[in-house]
Amino acid sequence: MKKLLEISLGVVTSVGGFLEVGSMATAAQAGALFDYQLIWAIVLGTVCIAFLVEMAGRFAAVSHHTIVDGIRERFGFHAFIWPLLAVLLVNFLVLSAEIGGVAIAAELATGISFQWCALPVAFLAWLLLWKGTFGLIEKGVSMLGLVTLCFVVAAVMLRPDWKEVAVGAVPSLPQQDTAKYWFMAVSILGASISPYLFMFYSSGAIEDQWDKSYLGANRAIAGLGMGFGGTISVAVLIVAALVLGAHGVNQVDDYNQLPLMLIPIFGFWGFVLFVASLGIACFGAALEVGLQQAYLVAQGFGWTWGEDLKPRDDPGFSLVYTLTLFLAAVPIAFGLDPLKLTIFSMALTAASLPLTVVPFLFLLNDDRYVGKHRNGVISNAAVIFVIALGFVLAVVTIPLQIFGGT
Amino acid sequence: MQLLRDILDKQVVDREQVKIGKVDGLVAELRQGKPPRLVAVELGSIALARRLGARLGRWTARLAAKLGGKRQARPHRIAWNKVRDIGVDIEFDIDVRRTKIFAWQHWLRDHVVGRIPGA
Repeated sequence: MKKLLEISLGVVTSVGGFLEVGSMATAAQAGALFDYQLIWAIVLGTVCIAFLVEMAGRFAAVSHHTIVDGIRERFGFHAFIWPLLAVLLVNFLVLSAEIGGVAIAAELATGISFQWCALPVAFLAWLLLWKGTFGLIEKGVSMLGLVTLCFVVAAVMLRPDWKEVAVGAVPSLPQQDTAKYWFMAVSILGASISPYLFMFYSSGAIEDQWDKSYLGANRAIAGLGMGFGGTISVAVLIVAALVLGAHGVNQVDDYNQLPLMLIPIFGFWGFVLFVASLGIACFGAALEVGLQQAYLVAQGFGWTWGEDLKPRDDPGFSLVYTLTLFLAAVPIAFGLDPLKLTIFSMALTAASLPLTVVPFLFLLNDDRYVGKHRNGVISNAAVIFVIALGFVLAVVTIPLQIFGGT
Repeated sequence: MQLLRDILDKQVVDREQVKIGKVDGLVAELRQGKPPRLVAVELGSIALARRLGARLGRWTARLAAKLGGKRQARPHRIAWNKVRDIGVDIEFDIDVRRTKIFAWQHWLRDHVVGRIPGA
């Protein structure tokens, strides 16, 4: 019974982690422009991230080390420095985009320009990390994140043609805007397969003191949590296709177009639900990415870390998230367009994947860390597939950004 | 045991299981007519910077000396004979509070982090 409760909490948490500004914005853009045609990218991304998250959790539960620890220890500092720098940069951009997402939600709610909201948002996130515990952040914020289920309700109420939805789950070639189509596909994959997600998950397993008895729960949480997260993303895409696409809004290049999505179904409350979903999902993600920067640095250099410690007991760790949060708010405060930044950082995430996913192949097959809980054939095949996908994405992202980006 | 594979870059903990750092460098003693012997491990930014390049190492050492005084101009060393357990982590029979390894973290705590309310 206790395990069941733990699994459901874990599922809710990982849904909260999955759904953020990137998955919402990319799904909405894809739905508006290509109807259901890009659903396959969400499905593919969700399956890949579920595998990686399960492995990250298993690695942490068995070895009591995080994936970042593992990369530094197994491959040495010379190899570690590349994923370190790449993930620090990508996380920084993603964090900026999340803060931008919350700031836009605040602008929609209050009418105060998002630029003015960026720093207060960063301050609020910092305050929660400074004073809060891991449990509060993990469970509290992700519970609130359940508001995003309104997209699933909306998608069902719009009565889409489910046969067409199913057809969209199979990859197909676009009839128009080829470069744009592939760029959107890359951005969706980047939004789904984010390094911060599996790295944060393995740190969370240590914070929650997982051991081998959690391996079953871990598998359930990874599969169900990512599955539900992917379902909500697909719902966002369906709503965007049916509402925005049908109203002739094909080009989503401004966050102000997005609240229209839920109004035909819920009326005024649709606007409120949209603002709440955007704000909460992005705020939760901002907390996680901010923490992840600190985890990354502290684990990479072997410092004492833990969100449950008081900041004075792990000053290096606390200072990293403090600096990151405020620095990440600066570009938004200067008026950088949050939507453009989001799409850009999602594509860059996709390009950085090989650096963080290749180590999985070695770490999850290393007896010293995982003993007899090493990867089976299916998990290894999945890692190899993600690595191959990552290399393709890394090669095509920059050209696509030039020809298909906004 | 292979030094580079099993020791370098591993997590170092003290006798209270406090995470001190990673093994950033190894110090070996060359002996006449006998194989070299591991005498200490090094921790800290200077040891790390040296691995990336000799010049970067010198710059880091100079910077550390300027910020933390002469005692911080060399990497921290833990004598190998203090080693207690070698597993995925490497445990040394020391108490980190009695070393200078966390001097910069303590400085941060006293001058920056500790001054922010709620720390």
